[in-house]
Formats: sequence, C-alpha cells, structure tokens
Amino acid sequence: MSLNVVAASVFIGLFLFVTWVGFMAARWRKADLNVLHEWGLGGRRFGTVVTWFLLGGDLYTAYTFIAVPALIYGAGAMGFFAVPYTIMIYPILFLVFPRLWIVAREKGHVTAADYVRDRFGSRLLALAVALTGLVATMPYIALQLVGMEVVIGALGFPTEGFTGHLPLIIAFIILAAFTYTSGLRAPALIAVVKDMLIFITIFAAIVIIPAKLGGYGAIFDAVPKSKYLLAPPSGNSLGSYSAFITLALGSAMALFLYPHSMTGILSASSDNVIRRNAAALSAYSFVLGLIALLGYMAIAAGVENNPFHVDGFERYGASYAVPALFLDMFPDWFTGVAFAAVAIGALVPAAIMSIACANLFTRNLYKEYWRPNCSDAEEAQVAKIVSLVVKVGAVFFILAIPQAYAIQLQLLGGIWIIQLLPPILLGLFTKRFNAQALLLGWAVGTALGTYMAATRGFVSSIYPLEIFGVTVPGYAALYSVLVNFLVAAALSPVFDRLAGRAKSQER
Amino acid sequence: MGKEGRKGWLSRHWPRFLLIIPFALVAWVPAYNRVEPTLAGIPFFYWYQLAAILMGAVVVMSVHLLEKRIRRKGSGGPDDDPSGVAGDIL
Repeated sequence: MSLNVVAASVFIGLFLFVTWVGFMAARWRKADLNVLHEWGLGGRRFGTVVTWFLLGGDLYTAYTFIAVPALIYGAGAMGFFAVPYTIMIYPILFLVFPRLWIVAREKGHVTAADYVRDRFGSRLLALAVALTGLVATMPYIALQLVGMEVVIGALGFPTEGFTGHLPLIIAFIILAAFTYTSGLRAPALIAVVKDMLIFITIFAAIVIIPAKLGGYGAIFDAVPKSKYLLAPPSGNSLGSYSAFITLALGSAMALFLYPHSMTGILSASSDNVIRRNAAALSAYSFVLGLIALLGYMAIAAGVENNPFHVDGFERYGASYAVPALFLDMFPDWFTGVAFAAVAIGALVPAAIMSIACANLFTRNLYKEYWRPNCSDAEEAQVAKIVSLVVKVGAVFFILAIPQAYAIQLQLLGGIWIIQLLPPILLGLFTKRFNAQALLLGWAVGTALGTYMAATRGFVSSIYPLEIFGVTVPGYAALYSVLVNFLVAAALSPVFDRLAGRAKSQER
Repeated sequence: MGKEGRKGWLSRHWPRFLLIIPFALVAWVPAYNRVEPTLAGIPFFYWYQLAAILMGAVVVMSVHLLEKRIRRKGSGGPDDDPSGVAGDIL
C-alpha cells in the first residue's frame, strides 16, 4: 500500500484541528481544574446539548463503528443485535440514572464506587466495584486503538516496525496531553466535532454507496441468503434466537455500569438533562443501525476481490471491510474526512475512559487506602497523572500483546461489569439488600461468568445453557448476573439476622 | 414507603409503565426474523428494527413529557422545572 496523500492530508488537518480544540477546552466554562469534580466531571455543568454530544461520543465508539459492520460483514444478521441493544438502553437510562445523579450531586460522588461506599457503608464492596470498573475499562481503551490503527493503516502509512507504530503513538501523546490539561472538557468539545463528522460521513455513505451499487435491493441480493436472517431454532436448541436477544439485553444492562458511561452521566447539569437525552440519544442508535448495513454494502461492492485491499484484509481481517468500502466509493478527500471521523471517534471515548479510570483510582483506591486526608489539589493532581499512566498502559497493551487478547478481555469485561448491577441498581430502589450478601453475589457472578466464557475458550460469550433438556444458548453475562442477584437476595436476610445477633450480644 | 406514598408514586409515575413497550418491540425474535415485507429492497428484519429505534425514542419522550405535565399540575404553581434555563440546555 502506498500513502494516499490527499486523504492523509485531510486526515492530519482535521486531527490538528481537534488537538487545538482539546487544549482550548481548558478555558471553556473556566473553573479551577485543580479540583477533581471540575477536571473529572466538567463541574457537573453540561446541559442537554453538550451531554448529547458527550454521551453520543462516549458510547458509540470508533470500535463500534468498525466492529459492528465487520460482524455484519462476516456473520450477517447476528451482528444486528446491536440495534435491539441500543433500543433497550434508553428505558433503563431513563428509569435508573436520574436517581443516581441526584444522590451523587447531593453527596459529591464522582464514581459509582463512591456511591456504593456511602450507600452500604462497606469498604470491601466499594473496592470490588472500583476494581471491576478499572479491569473492565482498560481493555476497552486498548480496543479504541484498534479502530484507529485500522484507518491509519488504510491511509497507507507504513505499518511495519517502530515507524509503523509511530502515528498511533503520536496520536496518543496528543490525547494524553490535552486530557491532562483540560480534563472532561476536552472530550466534551471534541465530541461535537466528532459526532458531526460521523453524521456527515454516514449520511453521505447511505446516499452515495447504494446509488453506486444499484439500490438497497441490489445490495441485499448480493448478500448470501444464509446471512440474511437468524438461523431458526432446530432440534432441542433455541439456537441463534436466544443468543441474539440475550446478547442485546445483557449488553444493554451492562452499558451504563461502565465507568465511562457513569462519568458522562454524572457530568450532566440536571436529572432532566439525562431524561431528555434518554430520548434524544436514539438518533445515534439509528445511525449505528445504518453503519451496521455498511457491512452488507462492503459485500455487495466486492471489496474483498479488489487486489488493492489484499494486504489490509490480511492484516486486519473483517475490520478492514468498512475502510476498504470507503476507499473504493468515496473521493480521496472525503475518505480523509471519514477516516478522521473514526480516529477522532476513538479519541473521545479513550479520553473519557481514562478520566473515569483516573477518578476511580484516585477516589476509591488512593484516597481510600493511602491518603485519606489528601487535599483537593493533590487528589486532582493524582487523577491527572493516573490518566496518563492508563493511556501509556493501553498503548503498550496494543503494541506488545496480540490483538486477539484485547478483544477477549473486552468480552470478559462485559461479563464482569454487569455484576455491578445488583449493588448499584438495588441500592437505589430498596433498602433490603445487605452489603456482605451483595459482595458474595458479585463474587459468585464474576466467577460463574468467567467460567462460562472459559468453557467457550474465551472466544465467545454465548453459553449453551441446558434447561429441562432444551438448550438455550445465551449471553453469559446475563446468566451469571441472574445468579448474582439470586445469591444476594437469598443471603441478605441471613446476613441481616447474623448482624442483628452480633449486635445484641455486644450489649 | 407507606400506603399513601405508594399511591402518590403511582399517580405521579404511571407513565413509566409505558417503558415496557421498547422492550416488547424487540423481545420476540421470531416475530421479525423474516424477509417479507421488504421496504425499498430492505428485508423486514432490518427495517423493522430501525423503525423500532424511532418508536422507542417516541415512547421515552412521551413518558418524560407526561411526567412533566403531572408534576406541573401537582405543584399547582408555575413551572418549577428549570428547563429553559440556559445552563440546562447547553
């Protein structure tokens, strides 16, 4: 592959522009950035519009834009689970998170672990929440790099050796620098640029590409019939039906438990901002649905038969389908715009994720266990440094370790993060649950979910559960969190009674 | 929560039960795992789910607006909702 000069110039130009935006963000709604909730939550002052861009940029990541159409390209209808998934997240957002926002605002919570610590008075449960959040988010940051790596490769930059990694390293140094100086304000402002680029790219794609390929009818005619629909259940197994819907439901339940989602939500300026966004964010879901269809357009365009793309597919697999499609269909300058949208789309969530990790580490490990009396300025300073460390870790991870591990870890991350559902959700709606019982439920759920993934060799999170002789293949996260919940519910009265007895003996 | 409180909750938050609709729209996979009827060449499986996104958004918006109306009626006075304040929008 040779360097595509026009596309690369547009790409670099847009990248420099958002770098400038990132540094300028420090002056936007100026406040003392040496306080954690100013640096790490933007002072909780983002209104409906900024929150819409921020959460949109945060949740619909570059990895999604590359991986979802790649899944459709490779596996067909199953990849469309992302659509019911994004339908189900918004009722959950509407019901649960305005309430959490109110509590967090009142008590000054910055992380989910802050909330759990305060609500249940258990340091151990809070530690479990903080560690789960950290471990689940790290591989997610690394995966954002994968999206970026694919488009950098597709632009024709050299990909071998140290010079091959250079563009990625430079991009991450820039990212680290503006996150350090501007905190959450940087991704919030950059998200506006990113989302507009994505919208422009996608609307161009769904108009221009079908026109070139002879309409949607022709596109679907080119797709092998076996990929068209989910395979109906056969024999004693519910097959892909149960896999499809449990994957959607489980992913929806897990999404807002991720630290970066929590950071985005807590930075809103009111509970009504969250409610309004629960409706308005659906616009991104619609775009994601359209992006998914790009996978079929890539099949119809026959990108794999183009000798020009052989290298790319060899290196990146199905993830190369969409970049290849853009290269074939768009004029060079617009390919630059589209690729910049993907790369900047990686910067925004990567920045928010690293801030979320920094908040967690500082609040729930550093302050909790090392320096309970540290000053506000020290707290903010530690968070800034941790955000740097996290990003260095992510770059190292992606350069030193095979990509397949990052994907597997991200898959496990989904299973681990969903285990926080009982402590966070139940704490908001009932007082009946006991901290020790929730902790045990968390441990059992995490172990069981990990075991289920292990039986599939960590390549799939679909576990074939046997119920009364019927096989119900389903998302391991959903199965394991059910067990987690049952354990917590069953043991809560037991632990409450034990605690009551201990208290009466003390007297 | 006492009996009074529960009744009060229901009269203020009954629209929330509508939030079951977005789940119901996609819960039963066999209902939409089909090709016909196609829309502009797009099989039903795909265009139905895209349409369900829009229906889900309408439901969530309706719940928000209904609850807001109930709140305003309840408080009797003018809108105590801070929306419209610049900080709330941007």
